[in-house]
Amino acid sequence: MTEEPYRWVEAISNRREYIEHQLAGGSPIVGLTYGDGVLFLTLSRERQKIFEIYDRIAMGAIGHPGDIERLRMAAIEVASTEGFTRSTQDVSLRRLATFSLSPALKAAFEQIYGPPYLARMLFAELGREGEGNLFTRIDYDGTMHTSGGPHLRTFEDYGVLAGTSAQAAAMEKYLAGVKGTEMSLEEAIRTALEAWTVGHLSREEGASPTAEEVAAAKKEQLAGAVMEAAVLERSARQAATYRTLRQDEIEKALG
Amino acid sequence: MENGLQGPAAAVPDFAALLKRQGLYPLAVAHSSPAGGAGLPVETQATTILAFKFAGGVLMAGDRRATAGNTVVYDRADKVLEIDRHSLMAIAGVPATAWEMARVLEHSFQFYRRSQLQEMSLDGKVRALSKLLRDNFGFVRQGVGIVVPIFATYDSASQIARLYFYDAMGAQFEAADYAVSGSGSPAVRSILYYENTWGKKPLREISREEAVVLALRALDTAAETDTATGGVDRRGRVYPVVKIVSGEGIATLSEEDLANTFKTEVK
Repeated sequence: MTEEPYRWVEAISNRREYIEHQLAGGSPIVGLTYGDGVLFLTLSRERQKIFEIYDRIAMGAIGHPGDIERLRMAAIEVASTEGFTRSTQDVSLRRLATFSLSPALKAAFEQIYGPPYLARMLFAELGREGEGNLFTRIDYDGTMHTSGGPHLRTFEDYGVLAGTSAQAAAMEKYLAGVKGTEMSLEEAIRTALEAWTVGHLSREEGASPTAEEVAAAKKEQLAGAVMEAAVLERSARQAATYRTLRQDEIEKALG
Repeated sequence: MENGLQGPAAAVPDFAALLKRQGLYPLAVAHSSPAGGAGLPVETQATTILAFKFAGGVLMAGDRRATAGNTVVYDRADKVLEIDRHSLMAIAGVPATAWEMARVLEHSFQFYRRSQLQEMSLDGKVRALSKLLRDNFGFVRQGVGIVVPIFATYDSASQIARLYFYDAMGAQFEAADYAVSGSGSPAVRSILYYENTWGKKPLREISREEAVVLALRALDTAAETDTATGGVDRRGRVYPVVKIVSGEGIATLSEEDLANTFKTEVK
């Protein structure tokens, strides 16, 4: 019956609705440029959500753990193979996302007899000398949103990932004026936590939480969940720049 | 993208296996070599590398000369390679194979950490090199790709730096005090044995400064009689590579430090 175009469109639409519903509860993830690189931050209750992909690339994801795992492994395999056969300088997020991940996600999403990937990912790449950092969000259907790069667009200093588009929009609005490169790691952690809380409170379209609501929610959430944070550091001594932040570094920033 | 995105992630997250699956594995596995290769002359490993335990960890050093037969090909070769934050590998043998092996090893450790979200264990790292050597036995039998490395890494569980040496087939041996490899190694082995047994202090108790002096003197001794071991070219400012593994990671001695030590302690 899916030979009929209308049926196919309907099936895709149902599938989209189903996936969006599944992803809606995901805890937001904030990627933020700071003076020494890129910060990734989220609050989670059970499992790790921020991962190292390659020397200068990190990933945060929400969705089904099995699907996240397959996509994460695929990204690591593609980056590692490229880095080994050519050089680590040849691994780029732009190519990883556009040539490898996006087509595969689109294909899985549109082949309606097979399972789609129940996942939404945020990647960050630490810019090389004199370049800005790149944030790229890739959705379950292969669509991408980047923070800059081609077409002479200036880089935004942030990338966000959330269960609903309303949440993502609220977080982007909150972070729009941020000058990331001028921030210390402590400032970046505080700003990212604010942005996370704004996202957490903006599940409904049009809702714009007040400062008091944000402060109260932040306190409540911090009591019940664990903050997970990692950085890609420009000052790292070795080629691999990814590092998970220690609990004492996070606590110091929160005061 | 033919792998991870179609089926479940590979059951064994091994970088060498990933390369093999994609036809990118750089080493010649034994069964691919022609039979009857036994008895071929084994190429000498024209070099000198050494490593020993001292009070501050493991010191690893190597000369800089690369040769092809009687010809000096290169006098700035780096034979002491950093594999990860706490591991060093010194190579003796055919450079093409050795450097490729080091690259596979480096990527293997990182691939494991990234995919498994934990560091590979010390035993796992030591075994990984062993497997690479065994996979390379095809080249060894053909007489073209022998590698006899030394490996040092810091064991965070027992908080001591450990030292291993290998044979060309991949057998691994943990060294109690020191390990050497390459054509200049007999002289160096004798020096280290003598120092460790009858010196003022056993090697394990000597300081960093004493260790560096000993390493430079030993390499100089090897270069005296072994043409394949490079001495010090002070005009060209070419000194041996000396690195130290300890709990703090890897430290590389600067050219300036080596120049000073050389001036006062060696010649």
